[in-house]
Amino acid sequence: MMSRARLLTIARKEVRHIFRDWQTLVVVLIMPVMMMFLYGYALNADAKEIPVMIEMPSPAPETRQVADKIDASSLFAVVGTIPAAADPAELFRLHGIKALFRFPAGFARDVRRPGGARVQVLVDGSDPNLGTIIRNAAEPMLLGATLQVLGVQQPKVLDMRTLILYNPEQRSALFFVPGLMAVILLMISALLTSVAIAREKELGTMGQLLVSPLRPLEIIVGKIIPYIFLAAIDGFLILAVGRLAFGVRIAGNPWFLAVCSLVYIFTALAIGLLISTIAKRQQHAMFMAIGATMMPTVLLSGFIFPVVSMPLPLQILSRIIPATYFLEIVRGIILKGVGLRELWTPLAVLLGEGLALTGLAIAKFKVKL
Amino acid sequence: MNVFGFLDLYRVIIRKEFAQIRRDKTSLRMMIMLPMVQMILLGYALTTEVKHTPVAVLDHDGGPDSRSLIQAVANNSLFDFQGSAESESALREMLDRGKVKLGIIIPQGFSRQLESATRINPGSGGPVLGLGPEGSGALVQLWVDGQDANSAGVARGYLSAVLNQWAMRHLGARLEASGIRLDQMIPVATDASVLFNPLLKSTWYMVPGIAVILVTMVTALLTGFSIVREKEAGTLEQLMVTPLKPIHVVVGKAVPFFFIGVAELMIALVIAQLKFGVPFRGNYLTLLAFTACYMLSSLGIGIFTSTVARTQQQALFIIWFFLLFFMLLSGFFLPVANMPHWVQMVTLANPVRWFMYVLREMFLKGSGFAELWRQGLYMLAIGGTVFTFAVLKFNRKAA
Repeated sequence: MMSRARLLTIARKEVRHIFRDWQTLVVVLIMPVMMMFLYGYALNADAKEIPVMIEMPSPAPETRQVADKIDASSLFAVVGTIPAAADPAELFRLHGIKALFRFPAGFARDVRRPGGARVQVLVDGSDPNLGTIIRNAAEPMLLGATLQVLGVQQPKVLDMRTLILYNPEQRSALFFVPGLMAVILLMISALLTSVAIAREKELGTMGQLLVSPLRPLEIIVGKIIPYIFLAAIDGFLILAVGRLAFGVRIAGNPWFLAVCSLVYIFTALAIGLLISTIAKRQQHAMFMAIGATMMPTVLLSGFIFPVVSMPLPLQILSRIIPATYFLEIVRGIILKGVGLRELWTPLAVLLGEGLALTGLAIAKFKVKL
Repeated sequence: MNVFGFLDLYRVIIRKEFAQIRRDKTSLRMMIMLPMVQMILLGYALTTEVKHTPVAVLDHDGGPDSRSLIQAVANNSLFDFQGSAESESALREMLDRGKVKLGIIIPQGFSRQLESATRINPGSGGPVLGLGPEGSGALVQLWVDGQDANSAGVARGYLSAVLNQWAMRHLGARLEASGIRLDQMIPVATDASVLFNPLLKSTWYMVPGIAVILVTMVTALLTGFSIVREKEAGTLEQLMVTPLKPIHVVVGKAVPFFFIGVAELMIALVIAQLKFGVPFRGNYLTLLAFTACYMLSSLGIGIFTSTVARTQQQALFIIWFFLLFFMLLSGFFLPVANMPHWVQMVTLANPVRWFMYVLREMFLKGSGFAELWRQGLYMLAIGGTVFTFAVLKFNRKAA
């Protein structure tokens, strides 16, 4: 059996290691807070005041009025009006405009004729998201503006009313708090732990510990305990900053969130442990931890990039990594306010992965001894 | 000692660094293989496209018109049709469980409202536009999972575009039955054509961005690691007692990694063009000049980190910390133009932002010095400052 005194001894030793390496500690504690502020303030999904130019060979009053309506919209800002564009592509390169509206010379006359006028819209497609927004918005905007200028009412066939669920004000902080928790908890649990164990191996102090009266399992568990606390502090920090600075409230049960976070930390620790049984040097542990955990978590968990748009092999990979399930749980609790009834599947998968990985790590650990 | 004798010291130390890099075959392989693998993996993973949005409907109306509207959504490849819900609570449950991201509710009386919205107003005589009283369109409710504001906004935009198209088709068909042609009555038609990236492929935008991130990461990390490793091993002190000055050591470290950075960029260019089919429309020599301006910053970050960090793990954390901020504020996946004004001001000092812009513009638009000289000056100014500061700090530490 493990003795509590011996566990505490090794844990106290590890705490001292952590405090002595204050540079890492500062990064670990400050990074999530700074990321929160950046994500909370810097991210805004809405495109506004996209710079565009207007080509107008004959500025009749109607044409001018339509152009003014484009400028007045919140989506576009007209940065220049020219009579003729010899090389449209050069305008895009030089002025950084995202669209060019080319009105024909007889626009004012044509709009009153049957069949109407034709306006060409050139769109900069280099940023596909922005290009899509512009392409989709150009036609209704031109039509609406022209009808307004002509003084006719626009037909309305459908009356669409949108209800935005879970995040009605569309604040990005709400979306990123869960993602940040998944990444930071993993970083502390998997990366720091595996490096800490690899360091003892590299320096040869692991051998010294093993010949002491301490049992191998006690060494490992004792080393892990401080990192569980560190991870818990960071998780709490993220939630506190989210609450105080951005008003992110946990819609569901905070205790359930705490339990799920512990399950996730347990799974992440198992990964760290497994890495440390394989890696002999700190640098190997770092690269393995980053390559096998951090990168997939940031890229494939749906933290930033939507998983459904990825090719199938990556989607399958995404279904394997624990962070995907943890994100589902955290978003469910914080944003949707749902509980165990809706979330038992991801929680079960997370727990199962944690148990399997721990079993594997212990088996490997024993073999190594 | 000849006039150029002071150059000899640089030559000596640069040769030493190259020898060291060459000897470490494992690291060399990693330097070449890792970026290639990452480039390919990331190129596929980092898509900002919103496709296959799962959608469900709740049809209270059940008429032929509502069924035709549902068909229009179900047949569109942008959406994954997940079937019908029986009740509002069932639809909400599907959203709660994350099974669907969009819900369409067609209320009772949809057919009737649609009929009156598209009825021809005999009084108005001419245009379609006199149809029905204003604001009397047929009601359709959309429920959107708004967790991810970005993709929710895009998906909602797609859905309303699809619904509007259906509405215009429906209106056109109704009018045609009365012998009126809708397209003859619309005062303005729009021909949209997309330049530079006609198929609006996400990879064409993201792959050049990934190249920037990889080059930054490799050069900053390797420079930082390489100096800290000498510190850890105690060989840095040995170098300091030779006639070499700190500046020689720094330059000796920076030069080989500059070449490695350029090599990484070339690998990235080849993969971008061959694997992802992204056209490079710029000039390679111009690109080299811009890369040199930029690498002052990334190498400078590595050197600066090495003065602060005592161990390689610390170096890793510090560089990672820098890069995360630079990457977020570079416009890599979040447009700078959407950020609040004060954040945009902060990004002016971000070298990654400028190189990201330059590389993307060169790739897709074929821009050169004439269009990008401002960005080049920014990179030169930032890089000069960072590099000088790092060297001064290194000097002070070493002295």
